[in-house]
Amino acid sequence: MTPIRETISLCPVCLRQLPARHVQDGNDIFLQKTCPEHGDFSAVIWRHNDKLPMADWLGGAKPMAPGTELPCPDGCGLCDAHTQSTCCVLLEVTNRCNLSCPNCLAGGLAGEDPTLDEIQQRIDRLLAEGCSFLQISGGEPTLRDDLPEIIAYAKDSGFGFVQLNTNGLRLAEDDAYVQALAKAGLSFVFMQFDGTCDAIYEKLRGKPLLRQKQLAIHHCNRHRLGVTLVPMIAPGVNAGDIGAILRFAVATSPAVRGVHFQPISYLGAHTAPVPDADRFTLPELLLAIEAQTDGMVEADTLVPSQCDHAACGFHGDFVVVNGALQSLGAPRQASCCGPSAAQQGAPADCCASPALPDDSASYSSPLSAAEKSRRFVGRRWERATASVDFDALETPGLEVDFGSFDGFLKQVRSHGFTITSMGFQDRGNIDLERLRQCSLHVYDGENFHPLCARYLGDAIG
Amino acid sequence: MSDEKLICMRCDKEMVPEKTNFLYMKFAFNYDLPRCPQCGQVYIPEELVAGKMASVELELEEK
Ligand SMILES: [Zn+2]
Ligand SMILES: [Zn+2]
Repeated sequence: MTPIRETISLCPVCLRQLPARHVQDGNDIFLQKTCPEHGDFSAVIWRHNDKLPMADWLGGAKPMAPGTELPCPDGCGLCDAHTQSTCCVLLEVTNRCNLSCPNCLAGGLAGEDPTLDEIQQRIDRLLAEGCSFLQISGGEPTLRDDLPEIIAYAKDSGFGFVQLNTNGLRLAEDDAYVQALAKAGLSFVFMQFDGTCDAIYEKLRGKPLLRQKQLAIHHCNRHRLGVTLVPMIAPGVNAGDIGAILRFAVATSPAVRGVHFQPISYLGAHTAPVPDADRFTLPELLLAIEAQTDGMVEADTLVPSQCDHAACGFHGDFVVVNGALQSLGAPRQASCCGPSAAQQGAPADCCASPALPDDSASYSSPLSAAEKSRRFVGRRWERATASVDFDALETPGLEVDFGSFDGFLKQVRSHGFTITSMGFQDRGNIDLERLRQCSLHVYDGENFHPLCARYLGDAIG
Repeated sequence: MSDEKLICMRCDKEMVPEKTNFLYMKFAFNYDLPRCPQCGQVYIPEELVAGKMASVELELEEK
């Protein structure tokens, strides 16, 4: 047992702040902490350190200075100690849901839906705060019949991208609703998709759902809404299905734009201690992707999150060619956010460093680097727009002239594909070094909360 | 591309269009560009650099 990094965490029982340390034992790394009242706690945060050393992955990420004082999480809304501005913001439009997943991260939330009028006011406020990338979330947002109005309002008011986070059930049932969402200007859909067989859904969601997922993709395809699949990966349930999920997604390109993996976390109503066997760490995911795709996706084409702490996730940028993925290289453009006011002028190790090389600056439009980055990311998840000849672009079997600049650009535009991941933190493994760098914020109508803080749940007892 | 004749500055020879290969990372591209038959120098028009090549470069940014 070797201590390797100092940080700050929370007591999983009373949620008070505790000094914490990363401790290495063999090839596993644990987050350990001791509450004077509730005792010792340990959670695995990294496995396979021999094959994928955590220190390499974190690169220049500096550990928290000793004696750092943070107000987390009681001080959220975002505080001065937070190092990321809000650019990707999650707006909850309902707490209702048409599933009752045993592991719902928003499971602890309740209360009446905000009215359309209230939601429009929130959208106004978000725009005034400088947000440009809106994620509509819940509960299950598609339970609202006025969702098309909400989306149209956000797009008309100036949001560049509006993303819908959904389980896809209504999209499967109600083609007219999908059409209305598309017409309203929805940019793309992030849909829960935990695997390629029903046993997985029965375990994670309480019922078989594969057919509905396929129908939802079919309807989104009909109305040219790009779908990114979002599997929650749980060891012993679908960790062996990662390759199959990727193969399904690639086979369904360009309707499917990518896969966004979420290693399971234990948020919301889940307050019981989590055995390490129930955790799936980032390096396990990276290695599983490589192993289960027989090397079609190499782990080193997936690079640490730019917007968030490196340990929170990764991003890889690809194009589908003849049914296989080809890496487009590590996407320098992929960061979607700028530093918070507090961080501006800080050394450029953060994601807002100018994205374009100097010599290409003259080709670029007068957009800010952060704005360009957002557009770059969103472009992959969105289907090609109406100005493009879809049929010529997306006809299967059409010869791809990959050696020509035009052929390449067309293929990337039509069959771009991303593999991304974000792991949420729960009361067992939360690390405030990561939390303070979170760029994904939830707006509750009054304040912005880093996502994990929002769904952490309450102190027990 | 325009019909204007291009003359190699060095050799004073007329350049002729020829398939030219580019390599960006692992991706190979070809494009017909005026090349000097004597010294092999290639002329890359500004609009190609600022247009398609810049777009390709943007898709293939290296870290
Ligand atoms: Zn405690
Ligand atoms: Zn010459």
